Amino acid sequence: MRATLSSLLTLVAAVIAVMLAGRPADAQTAAKTPPPATADWTALAKLPDFTGVWEIAPGGGRGRGAAPQGPSLTPAAAAKRKELQSLGREDNQTANCVPPGMPGIMGQPYPMEFLLTPGKVTIVIEAYTQVRHIYTDGRPLPEDPDLKFHGTSVGRWEGNALVVDTIGFSPLTELVANVPHGDKMRIRERFTLTGPDTMSIETTVTDPDVLSAPYTTARTLQRHRSWTIAEYVCQENNRNFVDEKGKAGIRLDDPTGKSGK
Amino acid sequence: MRRFILALVAVTALAAGAREAAAHHSFAPFNLEAEKTISGTIKKFDWTNPHTWIWVDVAGNGGKVETWGIEGMSPNYLGRRGWSKNSLKPGDKVSIVIRPMRDGSPGGMFVRATLADGRELRQSGQAVD
Repeated sequence: MRATLSSLLTLVAAVIAVMLAGRPADAQTAAKTPPPATADWTALAKLPDFTGVWEIAPGGGRGRGAAPQGPSLTPAAAAKRKELQSLGREDNQTANCVPPGMPGIMGQPYPMEFLLTPGKVTIVIEAYTQVRHIYTDGRPLPEDPDLKFHGTSVGRWEGNALVVDTIGFSPLTELVANVPHGDKMRIRERFTLTGPDTMSIETTVTDPDVLSAPYTTARTLQRHRSWTIAEYVCQENNRNFVDEKGKAGIRLDDPTGKSGK
Repeated sequence: MRRFILALVAVTALAAGAREAAAHHSFAPFNLEAEKTISGTIKKFDWTNPHTWIWVDVAGNGGKVETWGIEGMSPNYLGRRGWSKNSLKPGDKVSIVIRPMRDGSPGGMFVRATLADGRELRQSGQAVD
């Protein structure tokens, strides 16, 4: 009996300790992001109207660089690209449904929706069902970010433009095909409304280990007022694949029998 | 001249289509130089991501039926260009132009289809609002 009471007390103490440990973190989060006030919501109406569903306009520069020859590479990066090209890989991991990450995810032939809420711009990307979170509440970029497919982004409004800085990219992403990025890659995007339903995005990539000059591309987006974002679950019925040697293939059979012929 | 312009438009559309499809995977498994027409009966139409798949029963030599798998663009992409999940139904008689698989297996990439009632399906074209 005594032993049972003792273990019960230990359990209660443990539960209380866990609850207390959770508190300071909660308090800290609350202090950093106060709940939006009515004025914060009202202020959104004064910002350029980015809301709605956008897609790269026909001829809008999908994947087209300002420099036709592509980025200017450092000698080491150029050698690396040559080496990767010589492997003759037929495809990359997107064939296996791994999303491309930044900057490639912004050049897909699918729409994206911009959402503006106090202190934040959210980009809902249809391709691969991806989301970018851009904090516009004045927070700085982290000094030692975790490495993510989309990096970590902060933005600010400069007149009519949204200027976004992003750092901290996963090593699984590429700057462009056959060009792995370095640890210090940084992407600056400038989003500007150029008409009632047109937007320009100027993207400048800097990467001291890989690029010998900043790499700038420009795209035009068209707003489609009647569109909604559709579901895109890449694993739903993906028959494409690329193996570890870079050989691309297609599965015409379906071992599950659920969605095949 | 007019024919030249039409050809130019067609080539541009093809190039645009090729670039679009490349978003998910490369064309390596398909022979883009070749064109093949298959005729048969729709067995199943997968209105699925990341690609639509048209399964067509094709009668071969000696009456043996072989099922071909044809990869098309995604329902998201095609749905904004006039297609729907009902564009092809099981039992529909169809003739489909494809870029065949390089390895000779019964499959390919969709180019265009013609149905028994004369209706033609294409993947290119501007998205509609």
